[in-house]
Amino acid sequence: MQRHLRKTILAAAVLALAASIVVAAGSASGSKTTTAKAGGTYRVGWEGSFGFTDAFDPTGEYLGNAWALYSNLLLRTLVGYNHVAGAAGNVVVPDLAASVPKPTGGGLVYTFHLKSGIKFGPPVSREITSKDVLFAMERLANAKDGGQYPFYYTVIKGWDAYAAGKAKSISGISTPSATTIVFRLTQPTGDFIYRMAMPATAPIPAEVAKCFTGGKANQYGRDVVSSGPYMIQGMDSVDMSSCASIKPASGFNPLSSLTLVRNPDYNAATDSKAARQNLPDEFDFTIDSNADDIYNKVAAGQLDDEVSSPSPKVLRKYLTTPSLKNLLKQNVGDRTWYLTLNLTQAPFDDIHVRKALNLIIDKTGLRKAWGGATAGPIATHIVPNPMLHNLLSNYDPYKTPGSAGSVTLAKAAMKGSKYSNGDGMCDAAACKNVLMIADTRAVDKGMVPIIVADAAKIGITLKVRSVTGAYGVINTPKNNIPISERPGWGKDYADASTFFDELFASSTILATGNTNYSLVGLTPAIAKKVSASGTVTGIPSVDPQINHCNKLTGNTRVSCWAALDKTIMTTVVPWVPYLSAQNLNVISTNVTKWNYDQFSDQTAYAHVAVK
Amino acid sequence: MTNPPDFEISAGGAVALPAIAIAQKSPSRLFWERFRQDKAALAGGVVVIVLILIAIGGGPLAERLTGHPQNTTYTDTMTDSFGIPKGPNSTFWFGADAEGRDLFVRTMYGARTSLIVGLLASGIALLIGLVVGLVAGFYGGWIDTALSRSADVILALPQVLIAVGIVAACSISINGCVGGLIQPGMTVVIAVIAFFSWSYIARIVRGYTLSLREKEFVESARALGASNLRIITREILPNLVGPLIVYTTLLIPTNILFEAALSYLGLGVPVTQSSWGSILTDASQLYDVAWWLMVFPGGFLILTTLAFNLLGDGLRDAFDVRSDR
Repeated sequence: MQRHLRKTILAAAVLALAASIVVAAGSASGSKTTTAKAGGTYRVGWEGSFGFTDAFDPTGEYLGNAWALYSNLLLRTLVGYNHVAGAAGNVVVPDLAASVPKPTGGGLVYTFHLKSGIKFGPPVSREITSKDVLFAMERLANAKDGGQYPFYYTVIKGWDAYAAGKAKSISGISTPSATTIVFRLTQPTGDFIYRMAMPATAPIPAEVAKCFTGGKANQYGRDVVSSGPYMIQGMDSVDMSSCASIKPASGFNPLSSLTLVRNPDYNAATDSKAARQNLPDEFDFTIDSNADDIYNKVAAGQLDDEVSSPSPKVLRKYLTTPSLKNLLKQNVGDRTWYLTLNLTQAPFDDIHVRKALNLIIDKTGLRKAWGGATAGPIATHIVPNPMLHNLLSNYDPYKTPGSAGSVTLAKAAMKGSKYSNGDGMCDAAACKNVLMIADTRAVDKGMVPIIVADAAKIGITLKVRSVTGAYGVINTPKNNIPISERPGWGKDYADASTFFDELFASSTILATGNTNYSLVGLTPAIAKKVSASGTVTGIPSVDPQINHCNKLTGNTRVSCWAALDKTIMTTVVPWVPYLSAQNLNVISTNVTKWNYDQFSDQTAYAHVAVK
Repeated sequence: MTNPPDFEISAGGAVALPAIAIAQKSPSRLFWERFRQDKAALAGGVVVIVLILIAIGGGPLAERLTGHPQNTTYTDTMTDSFGIPKGPNSTFWFGADAEGRDLFVRTMYGARTSLIVGLLASGIALLIGLVVGLVAGFYGGWIDTALSRSADVILALPQVLIAVGIVAACSISINGCVGGLIQPGMTVVIAVIAFFSWSYIARIVRGYTLSLREKEFVESARALGASNLRIITREILPNLVGPLIVYTTLLIPTNILFEAALSYLGLGVPVTQSSWGSILTDASQLYDVAWWLMVFPGGFLILTTLAFNLLGDGLRDAFDVRSDR
């Protein structure tokens, strides 16, 4: 009896253990793997418009939502990602290439060997060679073809000469065989391998893309030739016998919908199941101008996923209804939202004022405008923590109780300011009627009153101008905008250089389309070039530190970026960071498997399944 | 049986009329006697007066009563953990708005915005319309043709679309429009509304002026050698006062709604300034979880437009502007 009881207990314990392992495995992947099966259509509601930056032409497309479609479904690059959540999703893995190469020649040479048996989809349907990768790189270098991030590749020898039309080929790229491509760089570049995982480097067949150059380059977006598991519906009917005969594929209407179906030339044996499972037969992306309608349809099972932002009331519904909780997916967005302070404009040309503002802003209040804690953790520095391997998780140089701002601490910081008469308030005339550019989204409307009220507590009165499309105003230095609440910045790939290079390097200060809104590193000469005025002397620069970190690799590189983050937060103070955004997705009950793609910060379409 | 006559014929055949006190009534007295019989108009007038008082002192008074400054956000206490506002309670009588501000205080301040926009825009429209209408109607000829067709063009324009365009364009620039003359915010909203409203007044004034300039008293003045300016200002203008008051009163609620519409579209007053239209914009996103955002400012908006309309109707009747009298 006792023995029997022991057996029963043991069996029950084993069963319980097995069950807990199954449950844990299921929850770790964030999905219900038990019922995932192939087939069906994955239907996605897309709010407003596709918003593509170059009409879905991979050479010029710089939109994360598009990258998710390319990387998961349509295009394969030499190296890529496994399209999963968290740190594992930022690890570069082989895709077209058989392995991820280690640099040779003192960190200057990268040699990729392509797998065999990988074909373009219809209508090309032939094996992909190294020349197709070269063609994509040349297309990216040619400014007329609309490339939007060629700056990542100027480290390749001969790139600039080719881009300027002074050379017929890029001398630093060679294709010794159909399956080998070699890149020679001008300087060691620690994150080069990430750059070769970006969608613009995916092979492009010259026989089709040659028809789309110059002014009509981005029309290739209507006929993107697949190298991945899915293709645009109707591509198999596109007649590529001549340029004139190539018509847009039937499955893509830029104003309303995009339908992707299985690519008959895709060979799953050349791919990794860890990277792409390709379960649904079809993906439908449909534009809907009404976000409420999208969420209603997801709730009703008429859509399965969304490319939108759940409003606070949608979040509340999903988080407070036990049966719905699992349908709201929260993932690290690798994006920081911040107030930008212009270092040339009074009173923010004084570091004491910038520090005081960091200490007075109620970051918790600002986060409520985004929907509360679900929107993400409070940002206390520049780069999202996961990208710095959590080295700065506990770093908060402007800590206040509850992250709600502190008048005492802010006044103490303000006391040293030339704009204060020692009472901790910004007293000078320069502190009054300071122009703040805001946008007109719901979150902006929610944040502006808080910022205005908080700034007033230390004597800064803000004159707010709400502008639809505020980026267009603040990215022009000659407008001399002192402060804006609009900016947010997300990674291009999982290296902090994609924050520092673009946001704080003096070389990125441009007359238009500037992203270094604070003008860190501005000199009188640059100020003249971009027509910026105000205090243009004595602006701190972090160019040497950025250059130093860029040459490093591995953990040393990450530590270098973390140290630079601290330096900027304490000695430059160009921002008031307030939110490390989470990406929120609401899915329907039809979805039986779901994951998050950390690379694109979107749904991992490569790993979803529906009933 | 018929009623007996209320006068008697004396034996001598002379008719003895009853003693009737004949009192001369001034036009203003006639107006008041007619107006006070119109209870709806009186009620409208009382409401308008109350609204004007609210516009003048309601906001600060509400701040004092509640202790909640209009732009202070109470996100800790008056929004839930998701940032959704909480409803009315003993200290926040109308609940909170989407940013956690006191909706009662914001609604009171909203009255000021609505009335300032309504009154100023209508006042500017009145001035422009009056001048254009008087000049066109009095001088006639090519001046009339030019001015009247201009007014027709304004009337033919798709107002909301163009207003949205103008306000959006002036709000995008840091310095406003027309070299900084039109600043983003309330100024541009007032300018836009006035631009689209003057033509109504101009047409009405022109019509009256065309009729008045042929009247005998104008002929007399002209015969006495009065100048055109004097005839316009001393003979015609006083006769336009009644109709102008009536039509302006009716124009004010239209313009208040116009401002609400612009604010609803996100093109109205700045976000730090309260306006019923902008509160209703917030409400459109949250009405199913925060009814108070729709009910209170919406109620005031309805009450205001109704009161002005009733008052305008009453004034029209009392001033004898209607053609069927």
